[in-house]
Amino acid sequence: MTLLRQTYLLLCKDLRLELRRRDSLLTMFFFGTLLLFVFHFSFDVAPDKMAEMAPALLWLAFLFTGTLGLAQLFQAERDNHCLDALLLSPLDRGALFLAKSGFNLLLMILVELVVMPLFWILFNLSNWNLLPQLFLVTLMGTVGFCVLGTIMSAITLRARARELLLPLVLFPLMIPVLLATIRCMETVLRTGTFADAAPWLRLLLGFDVIFLTLGVLIFDWVIEA
Amino acid sequence: MAHATPHKKRKGILGGLALATVAVGLYWSLIVAPPDAYQGEVQRIMYLHLPSILTAYLSYFLVFVGSGMYLWKREKRDDLLAHAAAELGVLFTALTIIEGSIWGKPTWGVWWTWDARLTLTAILLLIYTGYLMLRSLIDDENRAASAAAILGIIGFLDIPLIHMSVYWWRTLHQPPSILRPDKTPWETVHPTLLTALAISFVGFILLYFYLLSLRYRLGEMRQEIKALRLERGA
Amino acid sequence: MRLTVKKLAKSYGFLWALRDFDLELPPGSFVALLGPNGAGKTTLLKLLAGLTMPSAGAIELDGENFAANSSITRGQIGLLAPADHLYDQLTARENLRFFTALYNKSGQAGMLELALEEVGLAGRADEFAGNLSAGLKCRLSIAKWRLLDPGLLLLDEPYGVLDGSGIDLLEMFLREQCDKGHIVMMASHHVARALGLCSRALILHQGRLTFNEAKQTPWSSFDRAFGDFLPRGGS
Repeated sequence: MTLLRQTYLLLCKDLRLELRRRDSLLTMFFFGTLLLFVFHFSFDVAPDKMAEMAPALLWLAFLFTGTLGLAQLFQAERDNHCLDALLLSPLDRGALFLAKSGFNLLLMILVELVVMPLFWILFNLSNWNLLPQLFLVTLMGTVGFCVLGTIMSAITLRARARELLLPLVLFPLMIPVLLATIRCMETVLRTGTFADAAPWLRLLLGFDVIFLTLGVLIFDWVIEA
Repeated sequence: MAHATPHKKRKGILGGLALATVAVGLYWSLIVAPPDAYQGEVQRIMYLHLPSILTAYLSYFLVFVGSGMYLWKREKRDDLLAHAAAELGVLFTALTIIEGSIWGKPTWGVWWTWDARLTLTAILLLIYTGYLMLRSLIDDENRAASAAAILGIIGFLDIPLIHMSVYWWRTLHQPPSILRPDKTPWETVHPTLLTALAISFVGFILLYFYLLSLRYRLGEMRQEIKALRLERGA
Repeated sequence: MRLTVKKLAKSYGFLWALRDFDLELPPGSFVALLGPNGAGKTTLLKLLAGLTMPSAGAIELDGENFAANSSITRGQIGLLAPADHLYDQLTARENLRFFTALYNKSGQAGMLELALEEVGLAGRADEFAGNLSAGLKCRLSIAKWRLLDPGLLLLDEPYGVLDGSGIDLLEMFLREQCDKGHIVMMASHHVARALGLCSRALILHQGRLTFNEAKQTPWSSFDRAFGDFLPRGGS
């Protein structure tokens, strides 16, 4: 069975489990929305100032929401030692990596599709026409977050204080993604186009490709029984 | 258990040499070299600051090598090296930041500024402190070693990307600072300045390897004690 | 299935959990793996299952080196944990479907139904595995491994969670595997039952193999070797 087919098999299994366990997506939705409310109370500024801060605030929300998802990522495998069952099988560990990061990516995309427009509504922002471009940049950043985050989630699997440790090790490594995505989004909001932000986009793409490849190659060493 | 006198003697020589070189370096930096034309006496901290950060980078490179070797060959000594190097790396990075801060107050008037180099150093400190926390929070030793090795590799590979992003950010958005702290005035370089720096640098490297060998031996001894205890208990 | 193990060893730091382990098993062997706690039984099983990497030595299945063709040979090795390795929120049938697909064994249409029937779970095929009792989960595990049909089946202390009918079902399944020429290796403290089923007994002590013999009746050499590990209750 090829890598992609194995990834697909695992993804379907995870989606089915998520529909029944409901321990990730709903929590992430609510948390993301909750953060928007917290922002409203924290930042008492004029709407145009809010528009300037939109990329940064959105990414703060996505970072924390995404980390929730990452912490839950291997939860289904922890019950009944199912992780051992997967490692025992002829499964390519790279497929496990792709399936898990893909799953978190899917959850985050769904959350972002709701939270971004919600931000625009709650804070009375205009320029709705720029949302598709902003979403595209966010997507590239989210891919980087999910691939690196899945690796970090896997290596902290047996650590104590895991919910604290995961952001601690992940966030400093995420700085290139954070900088690139937010600066890119700011450029789009300011000029209406990607053009000036080309170097940032290249950095993002490079980050995504490097850690996606690395993840597939080294996941064998990352995940252990 | 052949870690007897030859090793100890070599370490002693290294330690002595390190101490001597650092002492000479200090003498040269503080007494022989002239004060800087622009910055005055404060500039002398550079003789500690630059070797500190370079040693820290060397440390992180050793973490990378140790981590890679451990994942490949699974030999405990590579893991011990990585752990020792990470601890020293954190130490030297913290020193660098403190030294930078001490230099910054009289020079720029502030204890901290988010310029590219300082920010990068702070990020490095965060990454490798995270590495040490990861190790201490995983109970199973082998899992801790494997997990830390992965983080050691990824952390090191991420550094160029972090470097690029922080530098672009800081050069595209120039903060309204009075002095550009990225540049030190090397135009008129007095030869004694360079000599002082060179001696300091060599002294730091020797000191670093001495401390590394001590820390490595400490890790090794812990392992030996553990093995003895279990053998006796069983 | 033929298993050959040469000089297998596993160390954790400076401590050896298993050392100098050599073994040669012909097809159809049923091996009872015995020994006191901490002897290295679980380590050996994990090494054979591919869940841990050895520090030294080699494992060969039918002449193929284990480490080299990891993915392929992993499909021929199974670890039966009676109530584990099943997803609680998937139904019995979905669990079987997932694992057969994972092992590339999803074949004929009625295969899953037949397997469920054979273990008496036909009526509960659409129930979540999590809602099944430990005994029923064990039956599901047996159905699973019957479908996956591994050449080498490993078991680590299976008797703990099983009730009477569960034990009968398990032992019948294990005998079937051996009759097919596959190998079964079972680590257990239930010496009597293990000896009843096995064709060979191994005793591990402090990481070393101290006894390796094919079964005889009576088995005085075994009694001598194992006598040290029996509880010394008052008489």
